[in-house]
Amino acid sequence: MQDQAVGRKIFAFLGEKWASIFLVVLLVVFSLVARNFFAVKNFSNILYFATTYLLLAAGETFVIVTGGIDLSVGFVMGFVGVVSSIVMRDMLAAGNSQTVCMLVGTLVGLAVGVLPGLVNGYLVARLRVPPFIATLGMYGVANGLALNLSEGFPIYFLPTRVQEIGNSFIAYLLPGKAFTFFERPPNLQPGDLRNLIGIIPGTVLVVAVILLLSIFLLRRTKFGQHTYAIGGSKDAAIRSGINVPRHLMGIYVLSSVFASFAGIIYVFRIGVGNFTTFSSSFELFAIAGVVIGGASLMGGRGTLGGAIIGVLILNTLENGLNITGIPAFYRYIATGLILIAAVVIDQLTPERRSTGA
Amino acid sequence: MPETVLAARRRSATVLWMGRNWALLFLLLEVAFFSILGSRFQSLENLQNIFVACLPVLILGMGQTFVIITGGIDLSVGFVMGFGAVICAKFMVILQAAGLPPSASIPLAAVICLVVGVIPGFVNGTLVARLKVPPFLATFGMYGIAYGVSEIVSENTPISGLPALAGVIGNEYIFYIIPRKLFSFLVRPGNASPEDMRAMLSIIPTIVAIAFIFVIVFAFILRRTRFGQHTYAIGGNMDAATRSGINVPRHLTWVYVISSCFASLSGIMYALKYVTGRADAGSARMLDSVVAVVIGGASLYGGTGNVKGTIVGALIIATLETGMVNLGVPSHNRYIAIGMILVLAVLIDQFFPELVGKGE
Repeated sequence: MQDQAVGRKIFAFLGEKWASIFLVVLLVVFSLVARNFFAVKNFSNILYFATTYLLLAAGETFVIVTGGIDLSVGFVMGFVGVVSSIVMRDMLAAGNSQTVCMLVGTLVGLAVGVLPGLVNGYLVARLRVPPFIATLGMYGVANGLALNLSEGFPIYFLPTRVQEIGNSFIAYLLPGKAFTFFERPPNLQPGDLRNLIGIIPGTVLVVAVILLLSIFLLRRTKFGQHTYAIGGSKDAAIRSGINVPRHLMGIYVLSSVFASFAGIIYVFRIGVGNFTTFSSSFELFAIAGVVIGGASLMGGRGTLGGAIIGVLILNTLENGLNITGIPAFYRYIATGLILIAAVVIDQLTPERRSTGA
Repeated sequence: MPETVLAARRRSATVLWMGRNWALLFLLLEVAFFSILGSRFQSLENLQNIFVACLPVLILGMGQTFVIITGGIDLSVGFVMGFGAVICAKFMVILQAAGLPPSASIPLAAVICLVVGVIPGFVNGTLVARLKVPPFLATFGMYGIAYGVSEIVSENTPISGLPALAGVIGNEYIFYIIPRKLFSFLVRPGNASPEDMRAMLSIIPTIVAIAFIFVIVFAFILRRTRFGQHTYAIGGNMDAATRSGINVPRHLTWVYVISSCFASLSGIMYALKYVTGRADAGSARMLDSVVAVVIGGASLYGGTGNVKGTIVGALIIATLETGMVNLGVPSHNRYIAIGMILVLAVLIDQFFPELVGKGE
């Protein structure tokens, strides 16, 4: 009798914590199997590439907690990337200083990024279009607009500082010689470059701040409480006086703005504006991250912490596969399998359903 | 008085008919629009091109129709189509290397592709029907898996070296007619003079004919057989279907298998038409297939939808695509239009539920 109870407890524990355990197992296995995996430089690399997915997944978490879904995030990201890089390119060509170009490009990108969210939110909240369809429509529209604006080509000739900023570190350490913040140490010798250690990529810090703010928003504010309330029971939320349509509009705008941030960070990282191709499947990785992190598509359940772990699993996997020399496309298979496994595990451990925020 | 009542009733019947058939009217408007603005849009050649262009949407949409009628969704069709194209092309190359003549290697590769194409559907169906994974997530997982597998099989490059006969089959017509001179069946006349070649009419692309055979067979299955009835019954009310003795899990598995086999068929046609196989062959087509079915009057809540509607939906998308090319507008702009049409179709469904034809 007692054995059974203990067994059930272990089962429930595994069901609840499997994602974190899986992440640890992945890290251990790759550290043992792959050379160069267990290194500060590599871990910072994983985070560096995870930033865009983390942002997409963070926005998606809010939407999924309300019981919705946003399929358009990947293409909104590409659309905003294209818009802001076109602004930067054209302003630079008109003779503005690099700083002004970057600032205006970023702000215009974020402002334009509000629009898809407003449309999605209006369709879902006011016109009662199923979220899946409204955002699938936006998936087409945003992609078409991005291709239209870029005419199907990447956008080059951005300010050179864009890529410098996107690939800078918070601090640089040249062992035994120099330690500087934000800028590389002056008078570097060619031999020093190899020993230079960058500590925490700047983009990672920016994204970490955004994520901390969103965790606060979802866990500690009325906005967050209402988000869970709507996902738990929309009727109850309405009856308890929450302005559900307005709140849902806000949620879809939030998701779209997070996707815009991701698009802008992507531009800063590679120094080129690019539209999203159909096969890049950003929405798959974002949604998979959130679901692996324990969110339910029925709404009312899911955390940002979980989503972060989910995304880190997928990115660690990608990094580990790359380092061990396995073709990158295995990560699509792995992501699909883990996504399905996450839902099945969720299905099999009903105890998990009680865990809310 | 009676006359006015009758007239009013007739008028409202007309309005109702127009509402029910808005997709068909939209298609006609679209054709009229491009005929006026475009050049030689209404030529026989161009009309046949529209049918060729609608094939991927139509074929994927056929499977999607079955799935959506049951109240599910299959997001994996686009990448399963790419998977089909890669498998079909790969096996043509392998069988050719093994020394088989093209006339044997091509049909054999197509059959192998259809058989392999059962697998994604079986997995989707099992997940949805037995393990109760929401259709959206099960097929979303398969979306990643199918793309990954086909990139690995194709080693991230389009597969080349297919038998030349594949391209002939993929691009030939059933009849070739040179007016008052020649009538040829399946074989393109080789030794005609240049003037005759110019006057030659090519009628009915073979792949369109093949596709429509499948479409008609499955339209019959959906409308006239018990399998079709049960499909509507499950979409209408799953509990009632279970209670009335339908083996719902088995039926659902079949429906997802049908969808992924249609996706593979579309992949085979891609391999025949373009004489290559690539993993991203159908990546843009998942959206199109859902849009075609929804324009055709299917409700995402299940229980309604029909093949006629899906055909109209696929033609709307193909006409748009062909018309934009005809006008010299970059065809990627169609995604904007298609996204908006999708939302529009759902809004019509939402606000005028009486207009949506209940299942056949």
